[in-house]
Amino acid sequence: MANIVNAASRRDVLKISALTAVGGILGASRAGAAPKQMTMMHESSFIPAYDAYFKNTLAPAYEKATGIKIVYETVSVGSIQTRDTTVAETGTGPEMAQMAFNWPFLFDQKLVDVTDIAKIIGDKAGGWHANSAEAVVVNGKWKAIPFGNIGQLMNYRMDWFEEVGVKSFPETWAELLEAGIKLKKAGHPFGFELGHGFGDNHGWLYPLLWSFGAREVDKDGKTVAIDSAETAAAIDFCREFFQKTMFEDVLGWTDVSNNKAFLSEQISCTNNAESILYVAKRDFPDIGKVTGQAQNPKGPSGERFHMLNPWTHGIFTHTPDVQAAKDFMVWLMDPKQVAGWYDVADSYYGPFLHAYDDASFWHKEPRNLPYRDSMANSHLPGWPAPISRPQSESVAKYVVVDMFAKACAGKSTKEVIADASAQLKQIFKSA
Amino acid sequence: MSVERGGWRVRALKLWIPLGAFMLFTLFPFYWMAVTSIKPNSELYNRKIMPMIVYHPTLKHYVDLLTETNFLVWTWNTFLVAVVSTAISLVFGTMLAYPLARMKFAGSALISFAVAATYLVPQPLLFIPLADIINQLHLGDTLTSVMLTYPTLLVPFCAWLLMGYFRSVPVELEDAARIDGATRLQTIFRVFLPLCVPGFISAGIFAFTLSQNEFLYALIFLTQTDVRTVPVGAIAELVKGDVFYWGQLMAAALLGSVPVAVIYSFFVEHYVAGLTAGAVKQ
Amino acid sequence: MVGPPILFLCALVGYPFLYGIWLSLEDRPVAHAGTFVGLANFVADAHDPVFWRVTINTFVYTFFATILKMVGGLGLALVMNQNFRGKNLIRALMLLPFIVPTVLSTIAWMWMLDPGFSVINWLLKYFGLANPGPSWLGNPTLAMISLIIVNVWRGLPFYGITLLAGLQTISPDLYEAATIDGASTWHRFIYVTLPLLKPVIFIVTMFSIIFTFADFQLVYVLTRGGPANATHLFATYAFDIAMGGGQLGMGASVALAMLPPLALIIIAMSIYMKPNKS
Repeated sequence: MANIVNAASRRDVLKISALTAVGGILGASRAGAAPKQMTMMHESSFIPAYDAYFKNTLAPAYEKATGIKIVYETVSVGSIQTRDTTVAETGTGPEMAQMAFNWPFLFDQKLVDVTDIAKIIGDKAGGWHANSAEAVVVNGKWKAIPFGNIGQLMNYRMDWFEEVGVKSFPETWAELLEAGIKLKKAGHPFGFELGHGFGDNHGWLYPLLWSFGAREVDKDGKTVAIDSAETAAAIDFCREFFQKTMFEDVLGWTDVSNNKAFLSEQISCTNNAESILYVAKRDFPDIGKVTGQAQNPKGPSGERFHMLNPWTHGIFTHTPDVQAAKDFMVWLMDPKQVAGWYDVADSYYGPFLHAYDDASFWHKEPRNLPYRDSMANSHLPGWPAPISRPQSESVAKYVVVDMFAKACAGKSTKEVIADASAQLKQIFKSA
Repeated sequence: MSVERGGWRVRALKLWIPLGAFMLFTLFPFYWMAVTSIKPNSELYNRKIMPMIVYHPTLKHYVDLLTETNFLVWTWNTFLVAVVSTAISLVFGTMLAYPLARMKFAGSALISFAVAATYLVPQPLLFIPLADIINQLHLGDTLTSVMLTYPTLLVPFCAWLLMGYFRSVPVELEDAARIDGATRLQTIFRVFLPLCVPGFISAGIFAFTLSQNEFLYALIFLTQTDVRTVPVGAIAELVKGDVFYWGQLMAAALLGSVPVAVIYSFFVEHYVAGLTAGAVKQ
Repeated sequence: MVGPPILFLCALVGYPFLYGIWLSLEDRPVAHAGTFVGLANFVADAHDPVFWRVTINTFVYTFFATILKMVGGLGLALVMNQNFRGKNLIRALMLLPFIVPTVLSTIAWMWMLDPGFSVINWLLKYFGLANPGPSWLGNPTLAMISLIIVNVWRGLPFYGITLLAGLQTISPDLYEAATIDGASTWHRFIYVTLPLLKPVIFIVTMFSIIFTFADFQLVYVLTRGGPANATHLFATYAFDIAMGGGQLGMGASVALAMLPPLALIIIAMSIYMKPNKS
């Protein structure tokens, strides 16, 4: 027994040290030369053509032009943040990666300052939208290049709305409530996510909050402002909205649930990105014909809001040749290249550059135009406070979502506000 | 069990009814998966029809799964990783279990505590430092990374399970062999280990299944489609945005599990036979 | 002989474990250097109402799931220990919930528990028992129950097969002797089967408790901790904080909160497994 054991362990040890040695040698030889290849990491798009376009059109074109191979690495949805985190933490892996939300802020110390190329790109394409900086500017420096906004808007069944006498999408939340009551009675309830998904929950609850004039935190980014009459009004409305137009399941919904419900004709209205219409047209043409998209309703403040859901591209500091990565980024975002990429995705990723405000892909499907128009009043969760660590903690802990969800499930408005306020004060203590 | 009295009624009560209940509970979801995997999308999203039967079965999901994705590659990867991880875990498990079960030596209590303590560290906590180690060994995106890390989850349990079995084997058998002149090593290999086959099979099944099933480490360490395992590959490529390709997902679930179950059925037979042949009586 | 495995575990578990403890004592935003803050994270956790909710959830979930699995598993093992045609195939089929990748079977359950599509609710509606049927994942209490059911579904085969193997190591002689002494089936069970199975039951249960307590995948796929934290467990909460919020130190502190209860279990097991136990 003893001999066998020792032999086995020796083999293992040898194997590990051999691998390390080989790895070390390989690593050393890579450091000096110009990059033969770089990797761009991206979340897999639900539009397969979008990923394919990069792999089959853009990457080969760049290789032909410069000799540098660009590898396109896709990561499953929901996992990109974990992957970005691991890459940032360990300092190895893809040179460039797609980020979302406020991650450029989270990873800011491991991201290269791209203020210079942001200016170049912006100048070439009509300038950046005002709110594109919200997600990428950290301490005055651009840490990522905004790519596209995945807007979250109202999706609704135009035919059923017409049946109850509502010819165009309601302008205000109050009107939407009225329509919902009629539709629920007609057997077509609403379904808005109140569970722990990534996007569809924040996508309507933050705009709801804002349109009532309520704020989570003040502009200074430190003072918790959630305890206010406006918040209470928003919560009371939400509770009524839930009870009169929806059904219990939505409390446990995740992002995929409302797509499923809409496409199986269970609900008449929800908020979502363009994915519902896209899949409907492809797989359920009859539903596709009667699906409409509209901007979020206005609140008592007279304003309407949307959630900003930006996809951005960052360059990690561990990149051996930063200039090569920057050059690629400039090339990629040049209208000659990126216009095709936007186009193939049928406007799912709304560009942040003004040059595309009237691009043809917006007109291919006129029902997508509200997504373009919503850009002007889209903001990140936590607005008007600037992005910060406590803010992302608040989002990760679903403070605002749970506040609304608990109220809908039965708790009193006073109680849920008190809970949320206490939680936020604890979180923002270090701000 | 020894003599059974009473006729078919007793048998129904003791066997068929409980077995039927368990089977319904256990296997109904698989029926569901099977039905879903052959339903065309139009039926899948139709809430009005009877969900348990298929009106226009289609093999489209299976075809798409096998031709448009790397499913077969993932299956091979999963199998390879599971076999290697299981082998390592059983070997290490035995190396820990035998001394702790049979021999007296200083520090044994500490060792059993240390082994047990590995489970105090949950995966969501471990994976960041582990990612660090894996990257420093330049093993990212290789199957070796998971082959090395999966045993961390498996070895302690294998050790415990094997210890339990080892202890239940009477020492007399080994003593008898030693008296007959066998060395300790020979005793272990010829007398002891064969008696513990049920234990190895149980531990092996556990280890193999858990390796197959593992998700978090595979998610972090394996990001290229060629090296992915089935759980990660299926989720990565069959879930796009907030759109699930339900039919293909269910097809993947079935293709990933039923063949393994069939293979297991052979082992089940083996360990029963191994036990009765082992003749504890003799 | 114990050398290699111990070294292996030290390197791949011990070191990360110590690193994890260190993390929990730091304020460590992702991709930033950490600053030592002592027990500040734990203090913050103690003031976090969600943290206490998570604690209750995890205990409730673990307790009920384990009891159901233990009783069910034992029952399953006893049933399967009998001789019948197709025994091997059925035994293998019963293992399926354990074999199928958890992620995928959980997605199947997601569909089955969605009242809009659930075949369960469909049947209830069909027989006029309920309309539209319970909201399995929307109602907070039902959501926890659903989670427990899915966990039991997944874990039952494991209990069953391990206990079955344990049953098969019990020599038939002992049963014969007991029968000769006049023991009934029930007595045979209590005085022969159970005592001899005790070691195996103990190990499997302790193990199951540990894994269930630290469960992640099931909740992550099914509810992600919703509705309103009704199903959030330590592992999922720690993950959200660390990976979602970018707070590695705080996430580690939540994950480490699992330590005291787990440690108690581990100590119990170690005492049991100390050598020289006859």
